[in-house]
Amino acid sequence: MGKVIVITSGKGGVGKTTSTANLGTALAMIRKTVVMVDADIGLRNLDVVMGLESRVVYTSMDVIEKRCDLDKALVKDRRVEDLMLLAASQRNRKDDIKPEQMQVICEKLKQEYDFVLIDSPAGIEQGFHNAAAGADEAIIITTPDVSAIRDADRIIGLLQHQGIESISLVLNRLSPTLVKNGNMMSKNDVLDHLNIDLLGVVPEDTGVIASTNRGVPLVHNDGSPGAAAYMRIARRMTGQRVPIPEMREENFMSNLLNWFSRNK
Amino acid sequence: MENSIVKLRGYKDGLHLIINPKVSLTEVEAAIRDLLNGMNQPLAGTSIHIDMTTSPLTSDDLKDLETHLTENYDLVVSGVNIYDEKNESPILAAPATHSISPSLTTDNHPNFEQAQVVRQMIRSGQIISCLAGSVIVYGDVNPGGEVVAAGDIIVLGALRGNAHAGAHGKLSSVIIAMELVPLQLQIGSYVNRPPIDQKPRGYPEIARVGAEDIIIVEEFIKF
Ligand SMILES: Nc1ncnc2c1ncn2[C@@H]1O[C@H](COP(=O)(O)OP(=O)(O)OP(=O)(O)O)[C@@H](O)[C@H]1O
Ligand SMILES: [Mg+2]
Repeated sequence: MGKVIVITSGKGGVGKTTSTANLGTALAMIRKTVVMVDADIGLRNLDVVMGLESRVVYTSMDVIEKRCDLDKALVKDRRVEDLMLLAASQRNRKDDIKPEQMQVICEKLKQEYDFVLIDSPAGIEQGFHNAAAGADEAIIITTPDVSAIRDADRIIGLLQHQGIESISLVLNRLSPTLVKNGNMMSKNDVLDHLNIDLLGVVPEDTGVIASTNRGVPLVHNDGSPGAAAYMRIARRMTGQRVPIPEMREENFMSNLLNWFSRNK
Repeated sequence: MENSIVKLRGYKDGLHLIINPKVSLTEVEAAIRDLLNGMNQPLAGTSIHIDMTTSPLTSDDLKDLETHLTENYDLVVSGVNIYDEKNESPILAAPATHSISPSLTTDNHPNFEQAQVVRQMIRSGQIISCLAGSVIVYGDVNPGGEVVAAGDIIVLGALRGNAHAGAHGKLSSVIIAMELVPLQLQIGSYVNRPPIDQKPRGYPEIARVGAEDIIIVEEFIKF
């Protein structure tokens, strides 16, 4: 039996959809069976980021309203085996779904897949509650800024309240240069504040936007620092012990010095 | 002597007012009026505990409700517990609270005072209130989180949110934190907004009302 993990944040636009797409893909690349559920009803875009928009025929709403079977509503990824997507209806609103209905879907999916990743909408309203309803665990996405962290803190309280004990953090869009100049909160500042386990750090990576636009998740692009970060996080999710590297500045001199000291 | 919105129950530690979570403040207040007016014995002066499961009431609503109970019915609200809907155990949204047993606190204190011990951090949107005494938090109080106490507030961690000590006007109340970097402090009706962006000093601090009727903050060494 697999597990259901809700990927959520409170604040909008911090990288929930990007993280769901990349972690789902990365997990499937390391031979796990994965289904990603877009719970952002009315604003679906996980299918777009995955480049699967044209293949979506049925949505979770069709399953709930019994217009089609769950299995039939799952869209197969174009590139990786054992990676499925359950799209969100664009015609409906967030409160057209009830938490119990999401629970039923999650229960069924985790019988057959190792990982069920739920892409949550922003906010703390009904949409968030639906997304979290069937979850066993949660991954909080935050960027290193005060308002995102405040919302993450609020969301953690709500998830704990719901009885979800395993809650970990992905710190997205960290820029080592900005941290070094004192213009961005560091990893430790954020952890000190939120007091939950760190699952990983994803650097600011311009490749993300290009990959979003092409509908090809970043993890397919081997060389990029963002892809490497997501691959490491996926391995940690499978229980492997993969250290979290301290981030280096994207600076030629310091990279050079590092290279020398490593190759001494 | 009860309705579907509020119930009164007697427990070992006193009377509990149990509130249905799914209603608004006005409905709660109306139900309390029906309940208390329908009772044979007057409850004035009694200390009660408010219990509810997950609730749509905001922290302001809670404060209003407490004032309402105090002013209109002469009840003393000794604390608020918010419970998990499913297992009825105290939950984290308003963290589990425990009352220190009276025998422990009465020994050297002639004025019996209750203290609530909160065994986890208080996150944004969570509120702890003890209107019968003091609150001790084993952890941080984050921005957006709030602690309200009739007596003192002691935070064995960083106080980054709001704290209101002496909520009934007891101006000798103090606020102590291992790291005192709050958004706002209040003692009685005095408010103190520390400068934005203050850095932790690396030692515990105490806030109290000083001679000039302003809240002063200094290193905490001893009582
Ligand atoms: N590590 C990163 N580096 C650079 N850009 C990023 C990174 N992560 C996310 N972005 C960009 O941030 C934007 C928002 O990302 P995304 O859609 O994943 O956020 P979201 O949390 O799902 O938003 P919403 O709350 O609207 O659902 C996108 O344009 C994405 O390309
Ligand atoms: Mg999204």
